Amino acid sequence: MTKKTAFWIFLIGTLSSAAVFLGATYDTHRQVATLSNVDKLSDQVVAGKRAFEKYNCNDCHTILGFGGYYAPDLTKVVQRVGEEGIRYRLKSPEMAFANSPRKMPNQHLAEQEITDLVAFFRWVGEINNNDWPPQDSKKRLSRGEQMMVAKVGVSPGAAVFQTKGCMNCHSLKGTGGTFGPALDKIGAGMSAEEIGKYVRNPKGVNPGSRMPSQKDNLSERELDEVARFLATLK
Amino acid sequence: MEYRSQKIAYWYFAAALPLFVLQVVVGLWLAANYTFTIPQSIVNVFPFSTARAFHTNLLVLWMLLGFMGGTYYIIPEETKSEIYSTGLAWFQLIALLVTGVTALVGFLFGWTQGRPLLEIPMALDFVVVIGALVFLFNVGMTMFKAKNWTAIQGTLLGGLVFLALLYLFGIPFYRNLVIDWYYWWWVIHLWVEGAWELVTASIFAFVLMKITGVEREVVEKWLYVEIGLFLFTGLSGTGHHYYWIGAPKYWLWIGGVFSALEPLPILLMVIDTMHHVKERKAKIVNPLTWTYAIGCAVMHLIGAGVWGFLHTLPQINYYTHGSQVTVSHGHLAFFGAYALLNLMTFYYAMPKLKGIAAYDDRRGKIGFWTMCSAMMIMGLTFGVAGVLQSYIERVLGMGYMVAQGYMRLWMGVTMAAGVFFLGGLLTTVVDLFTLRPSKVQA
Repeated sequence: MTKKTAFWIFLIGTLSSAAVFLGATYDTHRQVATLSNVDKLSDQVVAGKRAFEKYNCNDCHTILGFGGYYAPDLTKVVQRVGEEGIRYRLKSPEMAFANSPRKMPNQHLAEQEITDLVAFFRWVGEINNNDWPPQDSKKRLSRGEQMMVAKVGVSPGAAVFQTKGCMNCHSLKGTGGTFGPALDKIGAGMSAEEIGKYVRNPKGVNPGSRMPSQKDNLSERELDEVARFLATLK
Repeated sequence: MEYRSQKIAYWYFAAALPLFVLQVVVGLWLAANYTFTIPQSIVNVFPFSTARAFHTNLLVLWMLLGFMGGTYYIIPEETKSEIYSTGLAWFQLIALLVTGVTALVGFLFGWTQGRPLLEIPMALDFVVVIGALVFLFNVGMTMFKAKNWTAIQGTLLGGLVFLALLYLFGIPFYRNLVIDWYYWWWVIHLWVEGAWELVTASIFAFVLMKITGVEREVVEKWLYVEIGLFLFTGLSGTGHHYYWIGAPKYWLWIGGVFSALEPLPILLMVIDTMHHVKERKAKIVNPLTWTYAIGCAVMHLIGAGVWGFLHTLPQINYYTHGSQVTVSHGHLAFFGAYALLNLMTFYYAMPKLKGIAAYDDRRGKIGFWTMCSAMMIMGLTFGVAGVLQSYIERVLGMGYMVAQGYMRLWMGVTMAAGVFFLGGLLTTVVDLFTLRPSKVQA
């Protein structure tokens, strides 16, 4: 091989790959509008993105899998912890992560910034990104969720537990918050009646409890359902 | 040293080394964050995110300083002329250092663009651009005035221009997160698997040619094939970052196929290094510089080639994306490809800048082997943590912190290995600053 042949290998290799890459880039721009629901990309979502960058969230958390690996991925955070769950963690991280071995700084966010961030995360969660991350994929439900979905048929309380913020503090099979105790075996020690009484007035049962009463949060029926569901966890 | 203006390279190296040490110290703090519980009061003031911005920006800063110093050392010998302006070289060194330090202090007070690796705020970006333009002007003018064109010079200049151009894609604010990451990778991926590879390939070719005495014709022939393959696989290989960001599905194919080929140019680099070493015409004067050259080629292949290959296939990447597996690959690849290349350049140039023909390399050897073994252990322990994370969090679907609990031990071992690495690095830095002539006559 002469130096001239080598030069041509370099030139053809580079140009052919650049052509593929730039062509695909052009096409990607055309398709991203649909894949990322640009019609829903409002000014509020953009304001949320600015807040996300202002507080350097991305150097601890990944989003779409990129960033720091120190804290959970935020791509599907709305689907995972709900909008209330996000607000709670942003507003009082020292409470939310009091029992966690890893802490989140309190950035003293303005109310508006929290609302914008939630809008941003809601938009991100709907990006059509080939069903990543696997742990939030509805096709590959996590163990905790599989168990809950299996129970939802028999017990609507599981749905209440999942969607009404219980998991901000409590966990099942490792999914959920750490501020309150894990509830995997709660039914072994407490009956549905006892749990029902407890969630309505935690301090009445245990004066040292730090759990707020759920009476304003949930309807009477929901309280009964969630108590019945929890009592089945043994 | 054959030209007076080469001396400027010394100050670039001298600026780069302490920054490398600081990068590793901050790295140990990051590992401590994974291993121990840091109290809320500290986290509120100095969160992991700020420390990570330090760690990565220091990496970029010291490596760019190293590349620039290397370039200023090489071009006089390649062009057979003095550097166009040493004044500009000084200006640019100071501008870059001041910008870097300002950026780091700014991070402490929350002055950030908030995008990983590109945290430097826009105002400082412009200073970086001015510095880069001055650098390119200075290097370009030296080459144009001398008109002694070689493939090594061309590749070096091409790589540096490409590097500067790509930086521009990281400056604007993007409304759409998908587009944001799309162009973020034009900076990050096309830097490390494009522009930086061109710069290092040409520096590597230069040093190899000098220490082995193999003819330029042969070295430059290999160089063309290597950079051709680097760019062929690297440009479209960017696709392996576009699997899960909301880009079209065909990126799974483009990324998968091109990145599967990415180890090839590095393998070629190892083969040609071995070839040149076998066919050498020159006597081995400084064995440690040789060790660094071979170590660089081998660790480059392991870290960037093998580790990269292991998780760029979409089927695997679906589970490992954004986990400690990425961290394992990142550490081995940056160390193998770029840290060792810079250190090789320092060990090649520093003795010549100090007028030492053969240097005493006893301390340097300890430094090299300590760093290489410590980094290899770190690559493995990060890797174990990453596999645990992928399996527990992504396959079993257990909570993020549950997985982190199992990984904690391995992050602790990483931290211990990091302490050894720092020891090796300090030995190396002290050795480089206080090189002495060898007592044994080579």
